[in-house]
Amino acid sequence: MTVLLGDPVLEELRQILGTDHVLTGKADRLNRARVPAPFPVHRWAERMPDLVVLPASTEEVAEVLRLANSLRIPVVPRDGGTGLTDGAVPLRGGIVVDVKRINQIKEIDLDNRTCTAGTGINALKLNEVLARHGLIYPDDPASYPCSLVGGRIGTSGWSLIGSRYGHTRDLVLSFDHVLPTGRVIHVGDGIGRKITKSSSGYQLKHLFMGHQGTLGIATEATLKLFPKPEAEFSPFWAFEDYDTAYRAVGALARAGVATFAGAVLFDEWKVDYLRRDDEAYIPQPSSVKALVCAALYGYEDEVRAGGRRLLRIARSLGARYLGDEISEGDWAARHDRYATPLHGRTRSGQVVPMSWHCEDASINYTNLPAVRLAWHEIADRLRRESDVFDDWGMFAYTNGATGADYLTEIDIGIWEQRLDDAAWAAWVRAKRDLAAVALAHGGSISACHGSCREGEVDLVPAELGGGYDVMLDIKRAIDPNNIMNPGKYLLDQAYAEKS
Amino acid sequence: MPDPEKRFAEEWRNAAYNCFSSGHKFCREVCPVMQVTRNESWSPTAFHANVVAMEKGELEVADVAADYVNCTGCGACELRCPNSLFTGDFYRFRTRTVDLVKAVRGLAVSQGVHQPGWQRWNLLTDERRHEPVLNGTPIEQERVRDWADGLDLPIGGETILFVDCEAAFYRTSVPRAVARILNLAGYKFGLMNEQWCCGGPAAEMGYEEQARRFAQHNLDDWRAAGVRRVLVLDPHDYITFTEDYPKYFGDAYDIEIVLVVELLAELIREGRLTPHVPVERTVTYHDPCRLSKRKGVWREPREILRAIPGVTFHDVDRVTQWSYCSGGGGGLPVEKPELTAKISEHRVGKAAELGVDTLVSACPWSERPLSEAGKARSIDVVDLHELLAESLGVAP
Amino acid sequence: MKYRYQEEMSPPPVQRVTDVAITRFEHVFEVEPGLMTEHVTQQTFPNWDTLRLVRSRADHLAWMHRHFADKVISGEELLDDLDE
Ligand SMILES: Cc1cc2nc3c(=O)[nH]c(=O)nc-3n(C[C@H](O)[C@H](O)[C@H](O)COP(=O)(O)OP(=O)(O)OC[C@H]3O[C@@H](n4cnc5c(N)ncnc54)[C@H](O)[C@@H]3O)c2cc1C
Ligand code: SF4
Repeated sequence: MTVLLGDPVLEELRQILGTDHVLTGKADRLNRARVPAPFPVHRWAERMPDLVVLPASTEEVAEVLRLANSLRIPVVPRDGGTGLTDGAVPLRGGIVVDVKRINQIKEIDLDNRTCTAGTGINALKLNEVLARHGLIYPDDPASYPCSLVGGRIGTSGWSLIGSRYGHTRDLVLSFDHVLPTGRVIHVGDGIGRKITKSSSGYQLKHLFMGHQGTLGIATEATLKLFPKPEAEFSPFWAFEDYDTAYRAVGALARAGVATFAGAVLFDEWKVDYLRRDDEAYIPQPSSVKALVCAALYGYEDEVRAGGRRLLRIARSLGARYLGDEISEGDWAARHDRYATPLHGRTRSGQVVPMSWHCEDASINYTNLPAVRLAWHEIADRLRRESDVFDDWGMFAYTNGATGADYLTEIDIGIWEQRLDDAAWAAWVRAKRDLAAVALAHGGSISACHGSCREGEVDLVPAELGGGYDVMLDIKRAIDPNNIMNPGKYLLDQAYAEKS
Repeated sequence: MPDPEKRFAEEWRNAAYNCFSSGHKFCREVCPVMQVTRNESWSPTAFHANVVAMEKGELEVADVAADYVNCTGCGACELRCPNSLFTGDFYRFRTRTVDLVKAVRGLAVSQGVHQPGWQRWNLLTDERRHEPVLNGTPIEQERVRDWADGLDLPIGGETILFVDCEAAFYRTSVPRAVARILNLAGYKFGLMNEQWCCGGPAAEMGYEEQARRFAQHNLDDWRAAGVRRVLVLDPHDYITFTEDYPKYFGDAYDIEIVLVVELLAELIREGRLTPHVPVERTVTYHDPCRLSKRKGVWREPREILRAIPGVTFHDVDRVTQWSYCSGGGGGLPVEKPELTAKISEHRVGKAAELGVDTLVSACPWSERPLSEAGKARSIDVVDLHELLAESLGVAP
Repeated sequence: MKYRYQEEMSPPPVQRVTDVAITRFEHVFEVEPGLMTEHVTQQTFPNWDTLRLVRSRADHLAWMHRHFADKVISGEELLDDLDE
């Protein structure tokens, strides 16, 4: 269903939100039909919403949803618009509910160490305020400067320092959530706003995180705070081959150092790619084939002790420490370094602007080498087919403190300007293949972004099995009219079954 | 789509794709307009994406001209963009959102799409040769040097002081302070023979032909008088003279441009100026966008502040301040004064958190909106040059 | 920083570093310009702008450290501890 200009719906929305906060201009709509993930530009307008609303409160969101539900108008929540699985992109028109205006800090509770804020807030901005109290909200994705708390909830995001502090699901304690019918509920562990552990009832918090806006809209969240770390240590090491680096990262992650916040393994494709334009790696000798870094946070004495232990382990496994300058600089550049378009090269080496596409899966440590080879083969196939694609190499990041599994990422450059229908079809096929490899190795299709884009989404029912049927039942129960972000996660099936 | 729009889309397409294919919005939370409106249609990302949409025939300039009003030209977005900050120097290709915004505004004007406030402002500027900043000295060519009454400054010479419209007609205490300080240091300079507005504001609002005409007049005037060096106290002029004029005149542009704050810091360093009168104020410093973000000038103003006895200085580092702005730039106060007011309130709010009584700036255009916002919080807004003059004991 | 057009438009001479990278300013790498001739061409880049970006990057990185922790531990120092 689409909303037409002049529709009474428009007038009602203006009553609810004020004229300035209901946008109908074509540019307003086009700019909310996109996320950073590549998509054929000539098909851009297919994903336009009919209108955009900018609510300022939970109550306004609730009224919009009540109206949309009664009229069966699709609603797509949008926050930072940085999501990489097209979550915030409307597939059926309707209303985009852009929650960025709901960004006030309501409370900082110094005694219970929590903070309550609107979900339109950005963590970096929040931390500028918390720093005055010596506190930090440590949800640190590479999109730290641009993603917002609502999108972190909507995707159940992954944090670079999650091995020490947990990921979004651990850091968000509870939130106000507007159901598709417009009813407002509070979800957390139990009902408490600031409770970190409860056994009361079903554990609904997980359900209302990572649903990509298909189950409603979170408007105000209570977050867990930590003392701002006294010290940071982020060693980078070079290796002469992947296997040694792989063994080293495993040993570092399994060491059980309490201040350990994460480790990352870079493979030889990644190192080659860094040699294109990264000041740290341009001058490295050609013998450098793989890299590992680790990050530690905490009190200075703890970090020093843990750091020494990790340095000793790395040394015993043949690592070469890259020095303080590279170690410090590269870690501080972790948000900024990898998503710039001019990294792209044609096969002849010419610079072209490419969109960064990060394909992520959760893979157990023991399966990393096999997945890596299979994934590069797929990327290589794309590259051989066309200059539109470029293999930017792989990272594997620890998911947790014990080193069981890794966010495994292959970065593919895609020359969006040249992305025609044939290249797009090749890409969708490749995405499906990448996801299949992850599943074949006992992994999950996505560690952080979600898995509702074309290609990968086809395999979600296979990944979840009977759980996917439960998903369908839940979707139908909570969103009887399928207004919330329809078309995502193949959830339309829930309604086909019913009729 | 009309031909000029097609040509425009072709010219800007590659630069626009450089953002479009990132689309990550690292620029958003530093944008002063975004911070107070939270409206993604007015984000740097949208400004670039619209060009791609124009290229694809989805938009015309008339659809978006009003969106491009919402930019102060502060440069935060393009500096914070990883495509500038991390790879701009490597590729000699950086994000140029400020130039793009100016270009779209220019395209709109060339297609007959005007913003009423800007149209009036530039019409008056064209008539009177200076911006209608009002409130102070009446805006007339004969009055452009009134601020210097009684200072006995010569006309012409190898080095002249250029005074922007806001300072020449409204905040006249700033150029007076500068002139007296330079006299005290024995630094020789004169005033321009027939100074017109630098043309920068017209260029920012899209009136390019007018901007060029004004620039040509000023350059001709300098040449005729044998001027070799122009001292500039206003960061906006500094941008115009070091970015717009070189673009207009190319290799023929042989005038040296000197920023007054840098010159004063040097004179203090050399011992030619010694601030000695204590100024009992608790201050923080506002990094003017066009100095700090767009030119990387942040050290010298702090050097000057630290040289003034009596001042208690609560500094906020320049990187944190990339997301601060007065809201006074890019023609925003002309077209959307309420938005400028919100941005300056936001900025003054940050100063208030530090418990200061004074916010020191070094940009006349920032000082009017900041002063307005300061009143509500009992924070004085003072120009750095004036503060230095006070500490040097020179009369206003 | 006195601005003179001619000076700003004259970067230091090129030195080759690898097949794909050169330097002009000390410790500042740039792409081999031949790689930017077909699809994306380089912009006019006065010296002040290159240096502004290089310095701002360093400022930003230092800021990011401070933002997450009060102090950064040196690995070189810890390695010395191990050797003792
Ligand atoms: C450069 C870059 C690096 C990245 N690095 C990481 C990383 O390290 N870790 C990581 O996890 N992700 C990363 N991402 C992906 C992205 O930043 C995350 O998915 C992030 O959580 C999205 O947040 P957002 O505010 O941009 O949300 P959006 O993109 O606006 O929305 C994401 C999803 O959540 C839904 N949603 C939005 N708001 C709400 C709400 N209030 N209530 C319910 N649902 C909502 C949307 O409908 C959508 O489905 C990266 C992205 C980029 C561009
Ligand atoms: S301007 Fe830069 S930071 Fe902003 S979206 Fe575009 S590429 Fe990203």
